[in-house]
Amino acid sequence: MHPIVSALKHHKTTVVLVALEIALTCAIVTNALFLIGDRVAAMRVVTGVADHELVWARTTGLDLGQDTRMGADIDADLAALRGMPGVESVAMANTLPLSRNYMSVGAWRRPGDKKSEIDNVVEYAGTPGLLHTLGIKLSAGRDFLPQDYVPYTPGLFGSPDSKAPPPTAAIVTHTLAEALWPGENPLGKTFWLDSDGKEPVQVVGVTGHLLNPRITKYQGADRNMILPSTRLVGGVYVLNVRPDMRGAVARDLPGVLTRIDPARMVKAEIYADTIADYYHGDRAMVWVLLVVTGCLLALTALGVVGLSSFWVQQRTRQIGIRRAIGATRRDILRYFQFENLLIVTMGIAVGSLGAVGLNLWLMRRYELAHMPLAWLASGAVVLWSLGQCAVLGPALRASRVPPVVATRTV
Amino acid sequence: MFDYYLRLALRRCRQNVPMVLLLVLTMAIGIAACMTAMTIFRALSGAPLPGVSPYLYVATMDAREEVDKDNPDYKQPDSLLKLVDARVLVDAHRAVQQVAVAQSLTLLGDMDGRKSEQAYGLMAYGLAVQALGVPLRYGRPWTEAELAANAPVLVIDTHVAQKLFGTEDAVGRSVMLGQRSFRVIGVSGEWKPRVQIFNLAENAGSVMGQEENFFVPAQAALDAGVGPLIAGECGKGAPVVSFQSAAVAQCRWMETWVRLDTPSQLADYGRFLAGYADAQHDAGRFAYPPQAKLYGTQAWMTLNRVVPDDVHLNLMLAGAFLLLCLVNVAGLLAARFLRRQGDVAIRRALGASRRDVFVQHLVETGLLGLIGGALALPLTWLGLWIVRMQPVSYAEAARFSPGVFVILFALSVGVGLLVGILPAWRVCRQPPALQIKIA
Repeated sequence: MHPIVSALKHHKTTVVLVALEIALTCAIVTNALFLIGDRVAAMRVVTGVADHELVWARTTGLDLGQDTRMGADIDADLAALRGMPGVESVAMANTLPLSRNYMSVGAWRRPGDKKSEIDNVVEYAGTPGLLHTLGIKLSAGRDFLPQDYVPYTPGLFGSPDSKAPPPTAAIVTHTLAEALWPGENPLGKTFWLDSDGKEPVQVVGVTGHLLNPRITKYQGADRNMILPSTRLVGGVYVLNVRPDMRGAVARDLPGVLTRIDPARMVKAEIYADTIADYYHGDRAMVWVLLVVTGCLLALTALGVVGLSSFWVQQRTRQIGIRRAIGATRRDILRYFQFENLLIVTMGIAVGSLGAVGLNLWLMRRYELAHMPLAWLASGAVVLWSLGQCAVLGPALRASRVPPVVATRTV
Repeated sequence: MFDYYLRLALRRCRQNVPMVLLLVLTMAIGIAACMTAMTIFRALSGAPLPGVSPYLYVATMDAREEVDKDNPDYKQPDSLLKLVDARVLVDAHRAVQQVAVAQSLTLLGDMDGRKSEQAYGLMAYGLAVQALGVPLRYGRPWTEAELAANAPVLVIDTHVAQKLFGTEDAVGRSVMLGQRSFRVIGVSGEWKPRVQIFNLAENAGSVMGQEENFFVPAQAALDAGVGPLIAGECGKGAPVVSFQSAAVAQCRWMETWVRLDTPSQLADYGRFLAGYADAQHDAGRFAYPPQAKLYGTQAWMTLNRVVPDDVHLNLMLAGAFLLLCLVNVAGLLAARFLRRQGDVAIRRALGASRRDVFVQHLVETGLLGLIGGALALPLTWLGLWIVRMQPVSYAEAARFSPGVFVILFALSVGVGLLVGILPAWRVCRQPPALQIKIA
């Protein structure tokens, strides 16, 4: 048997402890890195609107329970907002990407044919100028024409407006177009809305990408349509603002609106903050995982340094003897490096099994994705280099043990 | 013997301060991480209303009255009922106590209209104060007769009483609620579930419980034009329903909570509930098989995942972190003890038994664990402070409590002993003769 292996057998306890430590670190760090990658990827999804030029505001009537004012003075509000310094354009929408509120409906490929329904399509609706205000780029087709706009609020039950049919024109995302008519040009095609799929809507434009108000399992990330509406009940005001004026506009906006109608609460928000807020939990988790990963690696490195130093000290005499009978400094250095490689590899072997097990458990518990095996490799590389870095100091110290030590009694 | 070992341990700690510092700090960081996560977890997963919520059950059934096709959000029967159904369940008096509640947010004012306070409260059908264990400071709860007569009475908390009337004892005064004046019949102390338990379907994402500032009979409030904060599930053809609307006759907006003390009561009530729901289905009112079921508070919270996944994940991470710290310290301790084989051999040769050697080393690691625990205390405090600074929904739960001290103490001694077992066992097993020779 190789001398390194047989030497290891003489201090089983400590070797097992180091290998166990490496295994634990491997299992946890691999999964933590995977989780970090997963969350960072989720946070990098683009919204499809001009994130840094928008301010938006919600208003709530104070006439609790009566709703008479809702949607009453939209035109006056819009005009006042348009007059604010720094505001480029203004529109009203039912919701915004990543603002969490959403309405979804079924879109029917054939009228009244239940089997042709694509479910859970998110509805955006907005007043004239919404596309321009949000900075949405059409990849094909045209913006809405003035005659396309009708009073319509998605998901509204029971009001006079809700009896009105939906608009007859829509702009759909590429994703929705592909779901409705795979591989075909969606422009000019018709789909049907309403609970029975009786109301025809024609596609007049296609957006490359527009994120949903909330990314969910059912609605997906960007399967949605924009509908033209003259009047929205309970909608939000969206302002396209010069980026340096966003703070001032958000601050002054409630005053401007309450001057028109004081009986309401107005809450204005810079849209970039809305996005940051949406991802807050993810960001916090990424930080926690990064700190934990860093601490785990540091701890493991310290453990390896401590035990390697102990072994070097314990074997000073043996090192001296080896040196006296002809081993070079390099041989000694290599010995400790190889020993470390062996122990770390043992740890990684056990740890990889643990990592896969942990991933499977996390998948079941938290609906997480399956970890690609490449992450195991990355974890292994991290730990191998960590082990080699940690052992370098003690190994160099060992290589500097002079041969004369062999002749001394300790 | 014990204090001799203790003195030995202290002396040895002084011999190699950097090493001891490393060991102690490693344990401290591990313990602090674990304590931080555990404090939050304990605060969130304990009984929301100590002494009350363990006996509270919420009634769930599929009470949809029309076919609601392809609603992916409707995975299982929820707890929302129409007032008519809630009334029947409460009036049946089949449980020890029963109440149907919904949250409301409204303006409470004094009669001159000079002072007002926006407050959260509960609209209730049934004897809410008794059933929910609301502590009354002054006055009395409302009676069945007042409830039946839709009498305009309410219970406010000391905070609102102080704000509106400048005194806590506001019994007998009148409060403007909606369009009517209500007589204050009782004043309650602070009542706040530790975590959110009401209307979990619509309160997704809010973790911490809401302090309720007033309690009012539901029908009286509706008559005054005050509705629930969230109208719940309204059928099609209902009038426009928005926040705080009082036009909720077509909506399922109340949750029925019952108090059941024994398993047989639970079983009986379960049968009664199922019987009522099935009868409504058979009569054609409920469109779906109702699958009526009672959930205990804790089970209901688990089912609705009130405690965020991140809190669980953090707890597991902290646990794993502590485990790794332990393995690390055990390894370093093994090295530290084995370095002293010579001393041990001499002690053994002089007559110390293995047991003595083992205990001596355990005392040393226990001491290190205690020092680690002492260091972990400020670190835990720091960790909780950092969590409180985060805009997360459960930030408020990150508070130091006396219970934490006890756990911390136990954990640090436990950790110290645990990490010592393997190294101490290793060092005491060496045969003395061989060790002397090595030395």
